[in-house]
Amino acid sequence: MSRKMPLWLLTKKNIKLLLRAKGSALIIIFAPLLLMLVLGLSFNSSSTYGINIGIYSPSITDDVQNFIDLLKEESFTITTYDSLDSCISEIKSGNTHTCIDLPESLNIEGNEKKEVIFHVDPARINLVWMVQETVNKKFDLRSQEISQSLTQNILGKLSETKSVISETESMLNTAKGNADSSASSATSTKSSLSGLDLAVIESNVNSSKIGSVDVEVSESNDLISEAREKIKETTLDNTTKQGILDTLAGARNKLNEAERVLTTNGTGGNVLTQLHSDLVTSQNKLKTAATKISSSNSNLESIATNLQETASSIGTVKDKLTGLKSSIDGVSVTEASTITSPLVTKVETVGEEGTFLNYLFPALIVLVIMFSSLLLGTTLVMMERHSPAFLRNFFLPVRKITFITSIYLTNLILNSLQIVIILGISLIFLKQALPNLHYIALILLLASSVFTFIGMVIGYVFNTEETSVLATISLGSLFLLFSGTILPLESTSAYIKGIAVFNPFVITEKIVREVFLFSTPIQSLWMEISLLAGYAVVFFIIILFIETILHQHTVRKYLKGHHRAHRQKDKKNKNDG
Amino acid sequence: MDVIKLKEVSKSYKDNKVLHNVNLSVNEGDILGVIGKSGSGKTTLLNLLTGFVEATKGDITYVNKFGKERDLNRNLHKVKRHLGYCPQHNSFYPQLTVEENLLHFGMLYGINKTILKENISQLLKFTKLSDHKNKLAKHLSGGMQKRLDISCSLVHKPKILILDEPTADLDPILQQEIIHLLQEVNGQGITIVIASHHLESIETLCNKVIIVNKGEVHSFGEIENVKKPYLRDYFTINLPGKEGKDKLIEKLRGFPIKKIVDKGHSIVVYPEHVESTIGKLLSFIREENLYLHDMHFGKPSLNEVFERIVKNE
Repeated sequence: MSRKMPLWLLTKKNIKLLLRAKGSALIIIFAPLLLMLVLGLSFNSSSTYGINIGIYSPSITDDVQNFIDLLKEESFTITTYDSLDSCISEIKSGNTHTCIDLPESLNIEGNEKKEVIFHVDPARINLVWMVQETVNKKFDLRSQEISQSLTQNILGKLSETKSVISETESMLNTAKGNADSSASSATSTKSSLSGLDLAVIESNVNSSKIGSVDVEVSESNDLISEAREKIKETTLDNTTKQGILDTLAGARNKLNEAERVLTTNGTGGNVLTQLHSDLVTSQNKLKTAATKISSSNSNLESIATNLQETASSIGTVKDKLTGLKSSIDGVSVTEASTITSPLVTKVETVGEEGTFLNYLFPALIVLVIMFSSLLLGTTLVMMERHSPAFLRNFFLPVRKITFITSIYLTNLILNSLQIVIILGISLIFLKQALPNLHYIALILLLASSVFTFIGMVIGYVFNTEETSVLATISLGSLFLLFSGTILPLESTSAYIKGIAVFNPFVITEKIVREVFLFSTPIQSLWMEISLLAGYAVVFFIIILFIETILHQHTVRKYLKGHHRAHRQKDKKNKNDG
Repeated sequence: MDVIKLKEVSKSYKDNKVLHNVNLSVNEGDILGVIGKSGSGKTTLLNLLTGFVEATKGDITYVNKFGKERDLNRNLHKVKRHLGYCPQHNSFYPQLTVEENLLHFGMLYGINKTILKENISQLLKFTKLSDHKNKLAKHLSGGMQKRLDISCSLVHKPKILILDEPTADLDPILQQEIIHLLQEVNGQGITIVIASHHLESIETLCNKVIIVNKGEVHSFGEIENVKKPYLRDYFTINLPGKEGKDKLIEKLRGFPIKKIVDKGHSIVVYPEHVESTIGKLLSFIREENLYLHDMHFGKPSLNEVFERIVKNE
């Protein structure tokens, strides 16, 4: 026999045994396939169903309405609320997944960005992200539109500026030409004027002498005046006459002296000639200056004209620039960040702010209770069924219901301990849980009862411990997968979502979440609590029913086993004999 | 006084008739042995007596201490208090101690704790488990475990103790121990119904026997009465050597003999007339001075009776 043979034989035997144990075969082979099938069918969807979005806006303007229409394209159920509080309370009750607090208008009128606030239930983090992602797409679209419009506006202004600049450029060119021309004229004028000989002719005429001439002439005049006076006062006598003659002689002397002064210069030249020459020179200079001044005047006129034109051009340019400035000033959005992201989204959690542990706490605690209750229920039933004392229990004067209740009670005690421990530890991290702790404990006990009964049903239905535990874990996984804790239920089909609402895990998690995170009064959760209680009752009845069938099954099994043992013994005896 | 009566009881599983028309009554203080081949229906009979299964047809009644007959299945809850059942395989909690097991089952029978503790103390002495009362049941030896199992069935002081193969899988010494225990139990006034393949044990223990064959009661009654039809039908001679045996067989062939079975060191003789054949044979032995170990021609053992019944099917 080759080395492979025993290995193959053993493997073949194992497979045979496995397949012949119907329960094992069913669970081991078909359960994972079934699980995959169910999950595959459930999550084989790219759409989001049943996401309820609440919208609150101070007024439903066209902008807001457009946005709502945009959201409606995504199969969301949109509900508008009159107040943010009513919208938020719907989140707390789980009817709405997110509340979007929209501004009155989405138009951007200043540098201030428009803020859109998402109010979400932090306990449903995966859903929050999913909704946010989907809604954000719509916001991004709208934001892009607004951003585009703002950019377009700026680009318009730029284009307008460009055309103004083009227009003013020619004006400025003309002004520049004028300025150049003026500059040239000014240079020429400057040169012309600088060429003027304005040097003062230094006359050789002794000026002091001219002064004295003046005095002499003045004195002469005085004397002449005096003579004239004396002639007037006196009768023409000699003496008087003499006197007049003397006076006049004196005047004559004086005038002669003046004449001498005027005719004799220091250099021996004639003062008057000198003066005449100087005057001619000055006249010539003045003529030249007059010519140049005339030319300069003409230049200055040209410069003035040019400057007026330039001033006019500059005035026009100034007007244009002022217009442009006022046009640019008209652009109210100037912040780059506002232009690129005019709408900003903000997530606000409903209820008190806390860590992720706070938000995950309801799901975590229900998860622990679910698995422990399911497994404990199954294990205890299996322990009892596989206990050697199981048969004896049939002969005890104890009713079936008492046995079932005892298993349930055992579970309940152990789960109560577990709940006390978990809640006790949770208090270290989650102090805010304290006020509602007793309610949470009660809810968990009820949930624990439901899961225990489910676990017990599995324990009664399956024959071996392995298959029942596997079935329990599979069922627990199904409850978990269809709870929205791992994958959002909203990503499943509407049908699956409709069924998942009745998932005891979902119900319990919802109750715990509302009581723990939002401090919802327990009375307002009566519907969910009743549903859980109903489950407990139904599963208890199912257990009673299964137990009755199981009794007959056990009898048959016992008898079969009994006969088999006897047959084997007989065979052995025969062989021994 | 009868304690349990079966009147024309039949039990079928679908089309398979397991028991047919069984009539039986167990008297107070009886030790009734139920014997039969595997699949003959004896376990079903026990299950009917315990109420574990319901009869398809017929009445099973339990007679209470006032002599009032009650339908077993209708009053099962009450009747269970007077029944003790000890299945073939040990039926207790291996993880509990001896005392804990007894307390557990006793309490479930609704016995006052003080009284129960007293009962348990006596029971432990009686079953010689006192020294082991604090041991986990799984740590007990096979014999002790069986004694504990029986104790668990007796803890509520039942009127009837029903045992299914109590000596199965036990060595002969332990079998004797259990039989002795059951005799003592019966000595306390408890009616016992026992199904077993160990017919020697049944013969030692029981005063009554019911032989179930092919779903029907072949014989029922006092063991002696059951054996009666099979008395004097044959006799056995045990011989030391071949020589004497050949002589004897040769002589016997001269008599009116139905059959001679040679079993090596013994021969079984089925004569036409047992008494005359024995007389003649004894004379021949005396004359020939033959030596033989023994010769018995009295009652057949229950085992032999059962074998004959089975062979005559």
